[in-house]
Amino acid sequence: MAMDVIDYEIFGSEMQFVEVELDPGEAAIGEAGVMMYMQDGIQMDTVFGDGSQQSSGFMGKLLGAGKRLLTGESLFTTVFHNEGSGKRRVAFAAPYPGKIVPVQLTDIGGTLICQKDSFLCAAKGVSLGIAFQKKIGTGLFGGEGFIMQKLDGDGMVFIHAGGTLRELTLAPGETLRVDTGCVVAFQPSVDFDIQFVGKIKSAIFGGEGLFFATLSGPGKVWLQSLPLSRLANRIVMSAPAAGGRSTDQGSLLGAGVLGGILGSSND
Amino acid sequence: MTDSLFRGRLFGPGIPGVGIAAEAAWELTGGVRITVPDAEHRSQYAAHPTLTGGGFNAEGLRISWQDGEANWVFMVDAGEEQVRCKALAPPLVCGRLDGITQAQNRLERRFKTGGALLVFIMLLPLLLIALFLVNRGSIAAWVVQRIPVAHEARLGDLVLAQTRLQMKLVENGPDVAAIRTIGSKLTAGSVHRYRWFVAERPDVNAFAAPGGVVVVFRGLLNAVGSPEELAGVLAHEVAHGELRHSLQGMVKSLGLRAAVSIAFGDISDTVFTDAATRLTELRFSRDAEREADANGLQRLVAARISPEGMVRFYERLASEKRASPPALLSTHPASGERLEWLRRETERLSGPWQPLLVDLGKNKH
Repeated sequence: MAMDVIDYEIFGSEMQFVEVELDPGEAAIGEAGVMMYMQDGIQMDTVFGDGSQQSSGFMGKLLGAGKRLLTGESLFTTVFHNEGSGKRRVAFAAPYPGKIVPVQLTDIGGTLICQKDSFLCAAKGVSLGIAFQKKIGTGLFGGEGFIMQKLDGDGMVFIHAGGTLRELTLAPGETLRVDTGCVVAFQPSVDFDIQFVGKIKSAIFGGEGLFFATLSGPGKVWLQSLPLSRLANRIVMSAPAAGGRSTDQGSLLGAGVLGGILGSSND
Repeated sequence: MTDSLFRGRLFGPGIPGVGIAAEAAWELTGGVRITVPDAEHRSQYAAHPTLTGGGFNAEGLRISWQDGEANWVFMVDAGEEQVRCKALAPPLVCGRLDGITQAQNRLERRFKTGGALLVFIMLLPLLLIALFLVNRGSIAAWVVQRIPVAHEARLGDLVLAQTRLQMKLVENGPDVAAIRTIGSKLTAGSVHRYRWFVAERPDVNAFAAPGGVVVVFRGLLNAVGSPEELAGVLAHEVAHGELRHSLQGMVKSLGLRAAVSIAFGDISDTVFTDAATRLTELRFSRDAEREADANGLQRLVAARISPEGMVRFYERLASEKRASPPALLSTHPASGERLEWLRRETERLSGPWQPLLVDLGKNKH
């Protein structure tokens, strides 16, 4: 497989975008709708499926597109070719606050398992597949569901997740307990499982849920500090339109202070 | 690369956390010798490695061993390399490897079973509806058999009340008396207390509601040529009532709508209130008509009334050229097949018949 080598630069701190430099003839694939800007000479082409196999026939393409639907992505991917004579740049923006992580697939053995929906963009030739979580318990309680995404190839991929990303390498036999929902990606050599929090008391009152996700080495894992769903929950909870209270708005008259004082007792 | 080697990834101290690609070969003693292609790292030898399934979905084969304090792992990914690795393994470790393969297959099987179960649960409401549709007739018949006569009569009252709102019903008078005379011959021995009505409507029609309510339209009274013809129509309608056809129709449509609304989570009162109003406009299936014809004929014979009238009346209705066919025919289509059957059956039956000495009233005018 001839993958395109990509030079890139990541901008911003909490709301990032990545600018990718394409040599003449090179191409990158992006999730539909994440392109931010592109320079003259870059041709945009929307393909059915993930664009990794050029001649796989109609059924193959349909299957690939179906898989993409399952992982929560759109049926189509967009390919950005550099048709110009010099280097050209195209930028892809993350859709919510978080970090963009570049991963060179050759460094980790060619395959990355990641949270569905976390793919941002990649060098052309990387295949976007689906990896079913086959351990029923992990699928139900592991926080990532039964469907994960598998990125295969030997190019560069950019994945995106919420909050701050932590990259950890686990030594052989080393196990990390992680809050469910915080696992973004891992090498396929890592064991992804669940573990009961240990005590009934902690399970009920501990606020961490019934299970931890456990990641056992060897291999590299990526964790996010703030899953989007948690952020969305907090925003909805405090949105006035959804019945939330604007306690810290600081209005002296009416609901602000008074509501805050009264409201604090029934939290 | 020679045939005895299989590829994987080596993890251990002094090696980058993501591991490095390496090649390995089995020893006959069950040990594994690992060669690292790049010169920076040493080759490794594990004399007695532990073999486990590991990695995502436990799909990988994890060959792990300890070297002093250090833990080492050689990971063989699922797929071609793992198949090779298992095929090359010395007999000593085959048992262990088979165990891992079985565990991997078990996980796969359990996942597939779970998935199938999930799909089944999701499709269950649709399946139930399909099953219900297929068995609609027999379920309705079963339910109808269990409706007590008292309830049937009350349902009849309900229909009667509805009908009164739509048309004027005559309960007494010479016409009703004539109908009652013929009708009581036909309904001898019935569990229902029959009530006979004439509706002041020009349509050529008649219907039987549950619980012994029979309504004959004025238009029908005018259209019949003899008391025997009227008896034929009455026998047919009484048969519908006695065979509880309208109840069956109601249970069917009610049941279907209830099933649909349960499946789609919309249970409203309209399902049940509509049902009573629809009773009068029910159409019966072809089988129900055939059944009512047969039963009606039996009733005529039992009452010693000539069945010729029934056939004649339908023939006349069918042959008459009108702009719009009479209402009775639109709910009781006089198909050629049905008429043919009636004629054949009638010919088989032989009298003696007692002539009906009933004054149909209209002769006076």
